[in-house]
Amino acid sequence: MQDTLTRRTFVKSAAVAGAALAMGSALSGCLNDSGSGSTGTTTAAGERVFYNSVCHGCIQACPCKVYVEDGVVIKLEGHPDAPTSQGSMCLKGLNQIHTCYSPRRVIYPLKRTGARGAATATWERISWDEAVELAASKIAETIEKYGTYAFFASVGGGGSYSFVQAMSIPVAFGSPTVMEPGCAQCYLPRVATAGFMGAPGDQSIADCAVLEPFKGLAPLEAAKGISPSTKCIVCWAAQPSVSQTSQSGRGMAELRATGCKTIVVDPNLSPDAAKADIHLPVRPGSDAALILSWYRVIFDEKLYDEEFTKYWTNVPFLINPETKLPWLATEAIDGYTPPADMPADTPVYVCVDENTGQVAALPFGDPATVAAQVNPQVLATATIKGLESKSAGQIYRDEAEPWTLERAEEFCWVKAETNRAAIDLYTNPPGGVAGIANGVATDMQENASQVPLGLMGLDMIMGYVNKPGATITANGGVNPMTGEAIDNSPGKPRPTANYSSMGMQLAAVGYTIGMTEEDNAAAAAATMDANAQYALNQILIDRLGMGNHRGIYSWSHSHIPTVREAIETGEPYKPRVWFDMSGNKFAMFGSAGAWYNAIMNSGVDFIICQYPMLTSFQYECADLVFPLEEWLEATGAAMGQLNYSFPSPGIIHLGETVPNSVPPQLVVDAACAKLNEKLDTVVFTGTGKSMAESGLSFPMGMGLIGGNRSEDELWASQIATFGEAAGCGPEATKEQFMEALKNNADAYTVIPPEGYWLYDQHTVAAADGLPRGFSTESRKLEVYCTFNIKLGRTGWPYCYPREHVHIDERVGTWGGDYSPICNVPQQKEAPEVANAGNLALYDPEFPLALTSGRLYYFHHGTMRHSPFARELYPQPFIRINPQTAAEYGIEHGDWVEISSRRTQGSDYDPTGIRGTELYASGTKEHNTKTAEPIHAIAYVAEVVAPNVLWMERFWNPECFDSTQSSKTGGWQECNVNVITNAVDCNFNEVFGSYTNRAFAVNIKKSSKPANVWTQPKEFEPLMPTTPNEYVPEIGVLMTNKELLTEPVAFASAGGGQ
Amino acid sequence: MAKRCLVIDLDRCSGCQSCIVACKFENNIGLGNYWCDVLNVDPVGPHPDPDMYWLPLQCQQCEDSPCVAACPTGAAYRDPDNNVVLIDKETCTGCKTCLPACPYSDPTGAVRPSVRWFNEAEGVMEKCTLCNHLTAASDGVENTKDTVDPDHAVPPCVHNCACKARHYGDLDDPASGAAQVLAQAEKDGRNIVGLDDMGATPATRYIISATTGTWRGWGDKVVTKPKD
Repeated sequence: MQDTLTRRTFVKSAAVAGAALAMGSALSGCLNDSGSGSTGTTTAAGERVFYNSVCHGCIQACPCKVYVEDGVVIKLEGHPDAPTSQGSMCLKGLNQIHTCYSPRRVIYPLKRTGARGAATATWERISWDEAVELAASKIAETIEKYGTYAFFASVGGGGSYSFVQAMSIPVAFGSPTVMEPGCAQCYLPRVATAGFMGAPGDQSIADCAVLEPFKGLAPLEAAKGISPSTKCIVCWAAQPSVSQTSQSGRGMAELRATGCKTIVVDPNLSPDAAKADIHLPVRPGSDAALILSWYRVIFDEKLYDEEFTKYWTNVPFLINPETKLPWLATEAIDGYTPPADMPADTPVYVCVDENTGQVAALPFGDPATVAAQVNPQVLATATIKGLESKSAGQIYRDEAEPWTLERAEEFCWVKAETNRAAIDLYTNPPGGVAGIANGVATDMQENASQVPLGLMGLDMIMGYVNKPGATITANGGVNPMTGEAIDNSPGKPRPTANYSSMGMQLAAVGYTIGMTEEDNAAAAAATMDANAQYALNQILIDRLGMGNHRGIYSWSHSHIPTVREAIETGEPYKPRVWFDMSGNKFAMFGSAGAWYNAIMNSGVDFIICQYPMLTSFQYECADLVFPLEEWLEATGAAMGQLNYSFPSPGIIHLGETVPNSVPPQLVVDAACAKLNEKLDTVVFTGTGKSMAESGLSFPMGMGLIGGNRSEDELWASQIATFGEAAGCGPEATKEQFMEALKNNADAYTVIPPEGYWLYDQHTVAAADGLPRGFSTESRKLEVYCTFNIKLGRTGWPYCYPREHVHIDERVGTWGGDYSPICNVPQQKEAPEVANAGNLALYDPEFPLALTSGRLYYFHHGTMRHSPFARELYPQPFIRINPQTAAEYGIEHGDWVEISSRRTQGSDYDPTGIRGTELYASGTKEHNTKTAEPIHAIAYVAEVVAPNVLWMERFWNPECFDSTQSSKTGGWQECNVNVITNAVDCNFNEVFGSYTNRAFAVNIKKSSKPANVWTQPKEFEPLMPTTPNEYVPEIGVLMTNKELLTEPVAFASAGGGQ
Repeated sequence: MAKRCLVIDLDRCSGCQSCIVACKFENNIGLGNYWCDVLNVDPVGPHPDPDMYWLPLQCQQCEDSPCVAACPTGAAYRDPDNNVVLIDKETCTGCKTCLPACPYSDPTGAVRPSVRWFNEAEGVMEKCTLCNHLTAASDGVENTKDTVDPDHAVPPCVHNCACKARHYGDLDDPASGAAQVLAQAEKDGRNIVGLDDMGATPATRYIISATTGTWRGWGDKVVTKPKD
């Protein structure tokens, strides 16, 4: 392996007509400071050029222009042709210049030289050869000593996505363990539930699943005759204006300007709530009850779309009370045989025929055809085989029975008349279609599965599906649920959903919904490799937390608190060598103190990290850090907005940074080579036998997915995608491509609207002559989610062809099963709520409800090192209603101490009963102290209800700077995740989501903690004019032309192992 | 006489502060100074629907420009070609005489809210220039095909404004970007307001509908920073 560093040469001189003089002098002061004698780039001094790119500042991808002068990025601006952001670029995007040139950048591999957790961490710059060898040998040695399950990985969001790499690397090493603090707490519950119900899309605006409301907002699109269709949008637990400011925030501003009505359900007066037509300030954690109050009104007043509900959903299906699954016609009706032309992959269920009052077969088909045979009754009860069987709709209505508008007001703190007005607006929007956008907040509560079940179901019974204006619409080129290309051509097979988990396809693990049982069994039996099938299946069954929380299977992840407990106790196996591929785990993990203690006290043998800079997690815990490219260096995938895709070329390159896909591949190559020499002795933990005896070798499964051995592969993909649009052709060299991109604002691609904005896919004729339908077993939208029932019982469809055991019956809220509909799970920590009974538990020592959300400045844990963000939001505020503030003697601007059960009581005992067991047993012990209380400044205003508090999530001072008089890592002073509950909360039944929001706290007046910067000038050490913190001799990154390099070329590039 | 300024639509502004950061990068402004700022005007009225808005704040390009009259060295001046109120940093001595003259500035030029800011490193007074180095000859209607076209350039705070709340141009030129937006707002019956006159006659206009809030300038209690 060898590093070949040469000067980047693509920034060549070319005039910017009329522009050079007109442009500002941003950052030119930095350039003038350069003392370097480097040749740098070949751009003439003072000459600026720009390249099209897409911002990576959050999970959106706003098209932008990157201006470069003398090899330094000196200006960013939004690209005017972007169809949603329309030229804007928010502060998270603009601040990316400071991210790239931060003094906290890691641009060479770093190895820790002192002890973990030392007050002053010390680092040694090492070569790539040494770094890869160190990581590979630690992994190989640990696996050799303890078996394959000793390896684990983790990932996150923010600046360096390594999603598939982190998912697949444990499987490559024969381990089940990977975790991500988003996942069950961010997006997975919503996207997975959408898939389980057969929806053609989910309801997340932030994750870019919801495209339809942003159609036709831009003048460029309007000129093509495309116009917006959404007349009412419900932002439930979502705040687009702060989460994705210049993308969906801009979209919301434009939508409101079109006259679209907005309803915002949020305990906090977010910008979108402030501008909403109706704001429902739901009590944190009570969303499921509010949703049921909507169902109650909608069912009772027949406000739902009757035809859609009858023929495109499973709401009329009669449910067998014993199996909790819909009766098949062949079971329910003696002597019934399906019509001869009904395909075997499309079961016939039963309903009550409204015309006859009798139980009747309800075959799948075109509504007009089916209606000639049967008129399904939505709310119905019938006796089948001696069992009183309700329709799914009746079951839902019964669940909603307690939740009158008045009862919802009492429990959810939303005025009945306001709630009623919202229901009326949603069900009867002026002139068209409404849709719900469901945000992240509920993913972080006990009701993480119930809320998306309820909100998806509402749009389904309203018929707000696959039509202009509806959020759940399969447009956008590719169906986000099934991955299949969207078109309306007839004659395709019926939709199926392949529920193989990552890397399992190779060995036919997982059941394909929509195929018959016989066909699935045949596919499983025909596996290419029975040993691999057994091993991969065992990995699924052994994955930490899957005994109870199996929704996480859909992202191939482990349950984070169960991983922590496994580290603490060694049961059922101990994760020991860790490859983390993202940012600050202490900012992102719930109950951060418990994680810190687990790492420091219980031992993790070796921690490998890759990230573009150090956060307090790497500062305190990493043994080895691989340097990653920041956005401006990284050659990315095709991204953009709606039907517009923009290039994402590596524009500059610093030191020895690499794409996030490279270190995992180099490490897998090197470690597998070592392990494969010892297959006779290395144990696959899943069988307890050696790899050789188990018929296995490394890498297992499909190996690492999404890895790269060089950046060239990424460039080739960029050029193939955008070469034509840039004008150099898809075969161009990198230099030719960059020359063609230079000052070329038109270098982007657009899918024609007629191939993008498509509707009514479910009605198009399939190959079998029936309408295509949806990708569930019933081929209908399953508002009553049968998937959940089956998942909890056997791990179906993921564990297929094997079966997992039934979940702990104390976990399932539906009589021991996962609930198939929205119900109200118990809230373990709540403020005092009238008549709450067992649904919301009150602890007088912690009488206030705390919830949290995002602010404009940061995305997840990122940007805390950005001085222009931090001077505007130097420390967290806690929002307090004036009435509550007065009760606690707190004034606006006071420092406040915030405590929860994670900071009070006796110390957490890792050897006692834990997690799921602790809550399921009903034991109420206060042995959960894992850290000290946190601090924030009081923002006293009528922006939250009395007894409700709101903070920015993840706030983290990162105060390990060398200018501090005494250092801490900085995760504990102000971070809300110190007090969240990932220890003994009521984990969501399906997804195991822990409680990051809507838990109980207490507050008191306090004082400023040491080491927290509050004044703008204190952030000077984070300015790009400050020398690098870890390799001080390289000085200031922005001005040091010696650091302008070609991407690292590895000797193994293209060659593999 | 040209009347160049910003027109800001408070119905659209979501308080994201991207304009502040766009300004800081374009004009190389150090920590703690904000030529462009956004004030969180304190909510009035009870939860859950208090009346609130965000107020972007920068030099108001006053018609009477008291800063120009007060400046003892002539450093505060109007651009002879386009009438924009500017400060010549070469002749500014940092005497701060202009601060009390400006009704919208902090007396020290160092505490929010303020439109004039004292640059300690250079010992001079600074403020929003409407990015005159980019826009001096511009009509305020951006050329989206060439965003640095001097005939049509807009300040980066306008270009990057996430909610398209900010508009730039000469109010005396009905074809300018700012004048067109103002004319449309008038047609739509939305309120067009400005900061209290205070003898300065600010040119900068704000648009605010009754549904957004009741105009009260920057309010009684400006929420920008905590007590320490």
